[in-house]
Amino acid sequence: MATDRMPGWVRGLLYTLALLVLWEGVGQLRLVAGGALPPPTAIALRLFADWADYPNHILATIQGASIGFVIGNAIALAAGVLFVLFPVTSRVARGLNVAIYALPPIAISPILVLTLSGMAPRVVLAAIGCYFVTMTATVVGLSQTDARAVDVVKAYGGSKWAVLRLVQWRSALPSILSGLRIAAPNAVLGAILAEFGGGGRWGLGVYLLGSLGRGEPDRLWGIGLMATAIAAFAYLAFAVAANAITGTTQAVTVPSSVAKAADRDRPVWQNATIAAASVALPFGVWMLLIWALGVPAMLAKSPAGLFEYLFLMPNSPVAQERLLAALAQTLPMTLIGMVAGLAMALGLALASQIYPAIVRAFMPIALVTQTMPLVALTPLLVLMLGRGYSLILWVTISVTFFPAFVTMAQGLILVPRAALEVPRAYGAGILTQLRLVSLPASLPYLFAATRLTVPRALLGVMIAEWLATGTGLGNLLNQSRGYLDYGMIWTVAVVSVLISVAFYQIVVVVEHRVLDRLGMASTN
Amino acid sequence: MSLTVNRRHFLSLAAAGASLPLTSRIAFGQTSPFTMQAAWINDAEFAGYFLAIDRGYYADEALDLTYLSGGPDVIPESTLVAGRADLALTTPDTTIKAITDQGAPFKIVGAQYQKNPIGIVSLASNPITSPQDLVGKTLAVPPVNVISVEAMLAINGIERSAVNIVPYAYDPTPLIQGEIDASLDFTTNVPYTIAQAGAEATSFLLYDFGFTIYNDTVVVTQEALAEKRDQIVAFLRASRRGWEENFADPDYVPSIADTWFAGTGRSIENEVYFNQAQQPLMETPNGIFSMSEEDIEANIEAMAAVGITATREMFDTTLLEEI
Repeated sequence: MATDRMPGWVRGLLYTLALLVLWEGVGQLRLVAGGALPPPTAIALRLFADWADYPNHILATIQGASIGFVIGNAIALAAGVLFVLFPVTSRVARGLNVAIYALPPIAISPILVLTLSGMAPRVVLAAIGCYFVTMTATVVGLSQTDARAVDVVKAYGGSKWAVLRLVQWRSALPSILSGLRIAAPNAVLGAILAEFGGGGRWGLGVYLLGSLGRGEPDRLWGIGLMATAIAAFAYLAFAVAANAITGTTQAVTVPSSVAKAADRDRPVWQNATIAAASVALPFGVWMLLIWALGVPAMLAKSPAGLFEYLFLMPNSPVAQERLLAALAQTLPMTLIGMVAGLAMALGLALASQIYPAIVRAFMPIALVTQTMPLVALTPLLVLMLGRGYSLILWVTISVTFFPAFVTMAQGLILVPRAALEVPRAYGAGILTQLRLVSLPASLPYLFAATRLTVPRALLGVMIAEWLATGTGLGNLLNQSRGYLDYGMIWTVAVVSVLISVAFYQIVVVVEHRVLDRLGMASTN
Repeated sequence: MSLTVNRRHFLSLAAAGASLPLTSRIAFGQTSPFTMQAAWINDAEFAGYFLAIDRGYYADEALDLTYLSGGPDVIPESTLVAGRADLALTTPDTTIKAITDQGAPFKIVGAQYQKNPIGIVSLASNPITSPQDLVGKTLAVPPVNVISVEAMLAINGIERSAVNIVPYAYDPTPLIQGEIDASLDFTTNVPYTIAQAGAEATSFLLYDFGFTIYNDTVVVTQEALAEKRDQIVAFLRASRRGWEENFADPDYVPSIADTWFAGTGRSIENEVYFNQAQQPLMETPNGIFSMSEEDIEANIEAMAAVGITATREMFDTTLLEEI
């Protein structure tokens, strides 16, 4: 057959085109949700008709995103270098790093809007979106330097700095650029999210907000796809830059943790001190920020203020009760959503081994689900799924599966060929190969994917609760804003970060136990 | 082509903002900076302020006004507490709850809407015309307004659990498609959108069923009241002038389609509808912003229904007398 001779990407393109045609047909015939899913041609025509509105909004979004991108990455690079040069700082900052990674944007966006003004919330959210990815890529890149080159510089009397400047920096560049590649769309998404909540006149998030009340899905899809296009463009720009500079294309990885420093030879008391400092640091930064911003205590709660709100005030029992009731609704869904998201990711990763072309065709859709602001899709989702558990589950899956899928797929690709040759020589089919070799061999990546998924699952559940079901932590956060209940707004933000960090740590512990027993190294 | 036009509008707007205080400085020798926080994104709800800015009425009062747009995550009262605005337009139940629960130092010095435009909107094909009709139905409410709905239900003797309240994200599609039976929104706004979508809407005001509160109450801090009293009075005077002229001049709202309303994603016809629909909710014999003793009493009573203890001292009518 002719298709056999086609390059893979051509076949992928054909499948994508087929999907577009299918979407067009479904949209034209109003088969889904009574027309709440508009056909691509209607979206395109609408985008064309609205075009005069777009330039200022796009410029504002790019402005917020790029300032955040520069600041976030500058901090990330500096932190990465610091962590590599002085490994103990990496361990002290671990708590802070995980907390920044786990911050659910919808929980901190109201706090940023409360404490900052103007463009600042957009810049901060964009910067936060960049920090962890780039910092990790920097650490990984700097640590994976060829030891022989380092020895040469050291033999000639070179200092730590000389090694950094002459060797490590160069070898780290591809890794850093691949980090920036992922950071760029993160910055765009962070900026849009802050625009959506933060007031101001320009930005795609603001435009989306004004358009919501019109009940015109084609406009909402147009704005969402424009956001997707900007994020994709930012990604491609850095991919091209990376190609030009390094001449190599590295596999895109989603770095998921900081490289661990050697700590076995340290006395116990030192390790304990470092661990305590690591836990204390995020709280210290929290208090420092409140003090530096000079926001009144009524708005900005310090750890002590929050403790008072939750335990010492006459209203504290009511606050506790509301918090616990919300947690009872949110936590089970978070666990279920996490498992479902991982299952989806694993299924896709396995399918990408068995039916690569179909999975490739699915990728554009998968990317759109990552960058479409969910609020634009809410009417479609509630019309299709109602406002119950299935909606929460689908939103959580869509928020979680992609980074997990990328990580798992990479793990499957990196399985050594030689190991696969053995079952193949005995005539095993692809399924047997996956079961006997690929899956066990990529276990470290499976754990890395789980770590990535945990904070995102909580985020997904909270988004669904906030937009559609009116339950749990997401709704509590939203209602607290209406009641001007600042204590509860801070409580929800802090509790959601603590939950994410706790889940993350649980996965880390399980991961070390399992991998140690199997004699495997973590992807750390 | 369209890009240059838009940029020009954008720039002229920026220039207008920058030049206003300049002209007034020339005219009066000195102006005071003054910042207001609006309650929502730019729409006809704030047309009177836009007109007063465009025609220099704040400058006439020696005010150098900075206008901050709102949005769903912008809590106007928070902007006051953070010291980023001198005056905010708020929802009175939220403001009073902040005073009683958090000890926020607010005073209500005026009310834009004598009757709160918030109402229950449903389709004429599945009409909900009174609170009783809501029993057993699904009602979408923005989470920040749940408190108002609970008050209206309580006043009308309906159990909170008898109505299925779900979050409302300001998109009327689920209502038009029948996924929900009704939504809570500005009745000055949504019926137009629904008509555009080819359906017919029916609505009633919470106000007409016992939840007799103002909306877009003009709120300042006690500190501002002590230090900037003259400027607050000047703001009320210039704004009243702006609103009166807006209602007298139906051409004004269409004329700002490409300045104040540029890029909001809403159509100018929608704003014209909004502006006409809000007029009877704002106008009062005593002048825009006025607060009569009976109405203040009605506000206090309505809020008592949901356990919010408002008092007469939270309202300060003396500034209105100075206009």
